[in-house]
Amino acid sequence: MTPAADIPLKQPTVSATAGDVEQYERALIDASTRVPVLMFYASAMAWLLIGTLLAGFVSFKLHSPDWLSNVSFLTWGRLRPVHMNVMVYGWASMAGMGTAIWMMARLCRTTLRHPLLLVAGIWFWNIGVFIGVVAILMGYSTGYQWLEFPPYAAVVLVVAYALIISWAVLMFRFRRGEQIYITQWYLLGAFLWFPWLYTAAQAMLFVVPVQGVLQAAVGWWYANNLLFLWFGAIGLGTAYYMIPKVIGRPVYSYHLATIGFWTYALFSSWTGMQRLVDGPFPAWMITASIAATILTIIPVATVGLNHHMTMQGYFPVMRYSPTLRFTVFGAMSYTVFSIVGVLISLRSTARYLHFTEADVAYSHLGLYAFFTMTMFGSMYYIVPRLVGREWRYATLIKLHFWASAYGIGLMSLMLLVGGFVQGASQNDPSLSFIESVQTVLPYVRGLSLAALLLTASHFIFAFHFGLMLFGLGRTSTVPTFLNPVEAEGTETHL
Amino acid sequence: MKGLIPLFVGLFGTFTFSWVGLTVIPNLQIGALNPQSDEEGTDIYPVPQSGMVERGSRIYTANGCIYCHSRQVRPDYAASDIDRKWGARRSAPRDYIFDRPVALGKERMGPDLANVGKRGETQESPAPNAPASSPAPSGGAATSPAAGQSPAPSNAAPPKPPAGAASLPPGNSPAQPAAASASPNPTGEPALYSEAWHHRHLYAPRSMTPDTRDSNMPAYQFLYEKRRINGERSADAVQLTGPDAPPSGWEVVPTYDAKCLVAYLMAQDQSHPLKEVKGAPGAAPPAGSPATSPGGSPPPAPPKK
Repeated sequence: MTPAADIPLKQPTVSATAGDVEQYERALIDASTRVPVLMFYASAMAWLLIGTLLAGFVSFKLHSPDWLSNVSFLTWGRLRPVHMNVMVYGWASMAGMGTAIWMMARLCRTTLRHPLLLVAGIWFWNIGVFIGVVAILMGYSTGYQWLEFPPYAAVVLVVAYALIISWAVLMFRFRRGEQIYITQWYLLGAFLWFPWLYTAAQAMLFVVPVQGVLQAAVGWWYANNLLFLWFGAIGLGTAYYMIPKVIGRPVYSYHLATIGFWTYALFSSWTGMQRLVDGPFPAWMITASIAATILTIIPVATVGLNHHMTMQGYFPVMRYSPTLRFTVFGAMSYTVFSIVGVLISLRSTARYLHFTEADVAYSHLGLYAFFTMTMFGSMYYIVPRLVGREWRYATLIKLHFWASAYGIGLMSLMLLVGGFVQGASQNDPSLSFIESVQTVLPYVRGLSLAALLLTASHFIFAFHFGLMLFGLGRTSTVPTFLNPVEAEGTETHL
Repeated sequence: MKGLIPLFVGLFGTFTFSWVGLTVIPNLQIGALNPQSDEEGTDIYPVPQSGMVERGSRIYTANGCIYCHSRQVRPDYAASDIDRKWGARRSAPRDYIFDRPVALGKERMGPDLANVGKRGETQESPAPNAPASSPAPSGGAATSPAAGQSPAPSNAAPPKPPAGAASLPPGNSPAQPAAASASPNPTGEPALYSEAWHHRHLYAPRSMTPDTRDSNMPAYQFLYEKRRINGERSADAVQLTGPDAPPSGWEVVPTYDAKCLVAYLMAQDQSHPLKEVKGAPGAAPPAGSPATSPGGSPPPAPPKK
């Protein structure tokens, strides 16, 4: 069929009987995506570990500022953007693209053609992130949130992206079957929106820069849209794929999904100015974003309801399936993330949360609690199908989950509560400013504790992933369950 | 969902809506602002930045100052920025027309810097490196020429550094602002928000008045050079005391980058009134009373405890 078909196949598993055409087709598709998707994941894991270590540095230096401060490239103000960009472009984007390419191939029921060109795209992307990281460390940051990479690194990223995404579009072109599944809407959206968003932001900031404060407006328009229309779309699409797949039950309502999708595209793309509440802008811009943020409650409610009704009666499966457990955690965090988004943008609450650590909590809820956890879930599903082995240790998966869940939970709590008290003391002019900093520092120490938990969780996962990559997983026809499966409830495609 | 065309039209449509709405239309509205001036075409504000200030803005960006310091004053009904004496009026788009990148900021682990140059204005001095900052606060220089010689400094200064006032040695009093940075004063602390103060604060953030002792700002010692004193001590050597001071026979001097960064900080001044912003009660007309500077007018309320 394709040159990729001679890559060693995973044995058709689970309920496959000889001559099961669908099973064979899936195995062929998985085989064709094997090299590029595993490369995406391996690169993403490497960046994740780097980003995690950087996060530890950033968090620790925030309460111990004299630690390693005498070297220019280790100063806090450079490590912090490096950490953010490594996580955004190194880890999250690459994991997201890997999962997206795999789901696209499965949903289009077509093999990935010429995977080696996709591999070239992955290399370019890695090189682009590397150039950007070095540039920030050397002091060439541009100073816009998540756009700190200088334009020459951005060019490399755009070329890489073009290489990568043309393959996803090509697969869509050769798709089989009439139905376009919900996940594909989200993925097509993400594939289309990201390059537009990225090039528009680059053009308006660096090629023909807009004047004055509008640069900040474009910067935040980009950052929030990256969060919603790139990561959010991929994350929600993944949840729409994984949840029904694992529990073996169709999505509760297509109608709800349609409403959820279009309101999401319409409202979340307008939220950018929520980060500039009461800033030096025409009031209508900020008010429009606040209104849009409130309206995102509609997609949150519909998507949440849809997932919930799909899961209805199947929640106990979370006891066994790592994929489901991570994905449901992510999907639930999406609701929390959106509620926090409303809190930081409403003028009455922004009074206490703007310019505080709560802003960091918001980004982490979106990028980690929602997106990263969903990606972990999808990797637990996809990697065994690519390497033909099952995850070796259920204990490691459990450790990974709980360390991540407690880590991000503690972190969000510390940042939100800390941000609130910080904002409250900032707003009380009878307190000196330094008191607001002292108020928040104990919470920042808690943040370092959370960073330790997350570091442990990521190293555990990386080790487990490495075992899989080197073919040291279990050879078994039964997926790895978190807990021994009793007689009932085994009807699942874990 | 049926059909590809509605899907793609929808995907394009929603995004175009957001793009046009949040970037293109605002660009039409406030994308081509000009500096304002009075009828005679004088008293222009804002003015383009000098070379050193612009380079300083790049140092500011490169070292991530923006992640802890905002540079925008919110209106008094929204927050207590003005009560904190971070500015006499809210910031407006016109304040930033020459800024690139524009460092509005996203968090305040450190205080707002929108007017930090103005806050130390009365302490400014004709030091050898003064050209660095002299074009920058031109709003102040042009509109209140009295700042240098008239009794204005001594009037406006006392309420300015109330926290440090007690600990300031008499030799460093505002009566002789030129002495503050022109001649080294190894025993005392430089006046609050003066150039010398910024250099010392950047080099050793926790070495200053009690108010900064608990600061979690990192030191930027890599912007400074420690060298053996060759003959006479340099005029721009950082005034350090205590454990941060170099051993005798050595001195710490700012690199060119550090000087640019301080020039940038000293250029942070949004005190000039803007027509589109209704002045706060404390904001006086530019050429009027000595109480021009923010925070100069209400003596009884100290900005910090």
